[in-house]
Amino acid sequence: MSESAEALAIRSAGSQPARDGATTASSRAGRPGRRKADWRQRLEITLLSGPAILIFLTFVIFPVFMAAYYGFFKWKGFGVPTNFVGLQNYLTIFTDKNFLDALKHNGFIVVASLIMQGPAAIAFALLLNQNIRGRSIIRVLIFVPYVISEVIVGTGWGLMLQYQGAVNTLLTHMGLSAFRVDWIADPNIAIWSLMVIISWKYIGFAVILMLAGMQSIPDELYEAAAIDGASYWKIQRWITLPLLGPTIRVWAFLSIIGSMQLFDLVYIIWGQYVSSTAGTSTMATYMVREGRLAGNYGFGNAVGVAIFVISLLIALTYQRFVLRRDTEGALTGDGGRKRK
Amino acid sequence: MHHKVKGSALVALGASVALVLAGCSGAPSATVTSSGPVTMTFWHNSTTGDGLKYWQDTVAAFEKENPNVTINIQAIQNEDMDGKLQTALNSNDGPTIFMARGGGKLADVVAADKVMDITSQISPDVKSAYGTGIFSAFTIDGKIYGMPTSVLPGGIYYSKDLFKQAGIDTPPTTFDELNTAVTKLKAAGIAPIALGGKDAWPAAHWYYFMALRDCSKDVMNTAAAKKDFSDPCWVKAGEDLKAFSDTTPFNTGFLTTSAQQGAGSSAGMLANHKAAMELMGAWDPGVIADLTPDKKALPDLGWFPFPSTASGAGDPTAMMGGSDGFACLKNAPAACVQFLNFIASKANQEAYATAFKTLPASQQAQSVVTDPALKDVLASYNKAAYVMLWLDTMYGQNVGNALNGGVVNMLAGKGSPADIVSAVKTAAAKG
Repeated sequence: MSESAEALAIRSAGSQPARDGATTASSRAGRPGRRKADWRQRLEITLLSGPAILIFLTFVIFPVFMAAYYGFFKWKGFGVPTNFVGLQNYLTIFTDKNFLDALKHNGFIVVASLIMQGPAAIAFALLLNQNIRGRSIIRVLIFVPYVISEVIVGTGWGLMLQYQGAVNTLLTHMGLSAFRVDWIADPNIAIWSLMVIISWKYIGFAVILMLAGMQSIPDELYEAAAIDGASYWKIQRWITLPLLGPTIRVWAFLSIIGSMQLFDLVYIIWGQYVSSTAGTSTMATYMVREGRLAGNYGFGNAVGVAIFVISLLIALTYQRFVLRRDTEGALTGDGGRKRK
Repeated sequence: MHHKVKGSALVALGASVALVLAGCSGAPSATVTSSGPVTMTFWHNSTTGDGLKYWQDTVAAFEKENPNVTINIQAIQNEDMDGKLQTALNSNDGPTIFMARGGGKLADVVAADKVMDITSQISPDVKSAYGTGIFSAFTIDGKIYGMPTSVLPGGIYYSKDLFKQAGIDTPPTTFDELNTAVTKLKAAGIAPIALGGKDAWPAAHWYYFMALRDCSKDVMNTAAAKKDFSDPCWVKAGEDLKAFSDTTPFNTGFLTTSAQQGAGSSAGMLANHKAAMELMGAWDPGVIADLTPDKKALPDLGWFPFPSTASGAGDPTAMMGGSDGFACLKNAPAACVQFLNFIASKANQEAYATAFKTLPASQQAQSVVTDPALKDVLASYNKAAYVMLWLDTMYGQNVGNALNGGVVNMLAGKGSPADIVSAVKTAAAKG
């Protein structure tokens, strides 16, 4: 949590140089001149960021602490919790096969999302970075699934993938009835169906990011490589990919966080009860089922805290070991970032 | 859980979003003296059709008789009801009149001191019309907390036409006969049994009924009172169900089939002759009627009791079921119980039974039941040796949820009969 607050502080501080960017050079030269404006600046910061910090504290930090508190109780959600059980909820969580399964599913989704979406997104972006006919239409089409609400996507795919649904009907009409399977109810297949839906839904976002990354690569590099006689593939391998690195790493970070928190698609397609049976449960669906549906609010809070800690650890580890080179790296420059 | 819903998931979703918004716009707390104006909120689960209309009409009639009372109705999709109600009660924003099904779920609310004891306020007329037995599901420690509106014993609903088509002359009474019927239906290319596994409880009902046949009355009562599943009959019930499900009697993809939503649901399959049978409670004729192509009652719908198992210790006439009913929020105005007495009157119970195509709680109103399937249910109900409450309702949300999940796992091939019992133990550690 202090990490988030720090990040917020950095963010608000980080906007300063941008705001008075024109004067940065002079103020760097003449430090004393800046002191005078300090109180004014502090007031400004307080006024401008105060409401945001207040809301952040009330709706993010405070609930986190309350969840941690409730997590130590067996509590049905009525009134003030009284039945203190210490760490028993946490012991139950990490010995419950259903939670460990859910964690495993989250892990699988993290890895499979990276493997399935990353290369495909780069390939699409390479394609769409060319001057081809209908480029903007294809861009829009690839991005459309990302814009559609998860509920609609889940409902639509859920209906199509039923055993009697459109997908199997299509297979039958194509003479492929041998390939009909129960896409979402068969525990061996369901998670792969989920992966296809997730990839379909979120690849547009990855493609847009990659495209933006590619377009920020200076043309001079390509021209120079072309003059040197590099082939198309060589250029992509030795210029595009390395310079796309920061974009890929940021996308991977967002993808990992999204996969850890996956809830809505699973909840819509598999409903409240059967995702763990179908092998598609996630930590978040586990929390809702065991906390809210079962009416065990104390336990549910403990699950929430467990998810928070697991996600935070992964996020911090990733930032420390993977994103660090970007935050300090040569590509992004060191403007204002050194203080971290 | 059980009961009602129709329309596509999308419509339901849109409706619940609207409800959330409505809820935000201010829920009146209803603490006004009897002479002044009284505003009450009323939650029920009939989101479409005749049921929705019944509640609108009944509330309007009550408001006409009591001009100082205003009742704001909120129809909430059934599968959302438990969670929403708990959240509302937790935040002291609960509805004045809300749906209740007795058992452990009601006991949780009673333990939290959120529901009114109406024992002494039930009118004598209602008491004599209802009989005493019907209140038992809503009685906790000798006090009555809810007014039942229906009796909903379970059994197997089937399509007479499809049975005829498959060459089945009489409804099965034993599991051997049921197995034969399943084989015949399969040979005729008909899905034998529709099962709404996505909602978990319809799958679990198969286990509960198996236990009802395999376990003696005493064992069932012990399990009810102490959550004690040590008797070997509980595992035998699981094994019997496993053996039955291994013959693949259920529709393909039952795990993601919902119970009541749309033509693809288990009730919808029956309504559209896509499956021959369904194990359900007495709300089913009404649910099916809303899902037929012409929205009318299914003409060839029949009913038979859950078949007996070989060497089962339970009485073959015993039934399992529940009651839908309504309760008043603690400290609700007097008009609340007045409303409960109002809906329990003979005329309103008759209208209820007709609108919902179900069995009324009031014995006086039972004469309006004309549906042939429901008449069979009523006949079996009236001569049942004993009637148990749905196990998940009896055990409350926590254990009930785990029990249902364990059964679904087993039917999907991911767990053993013994795992059902251990799931219950794990659940006990969480709440």
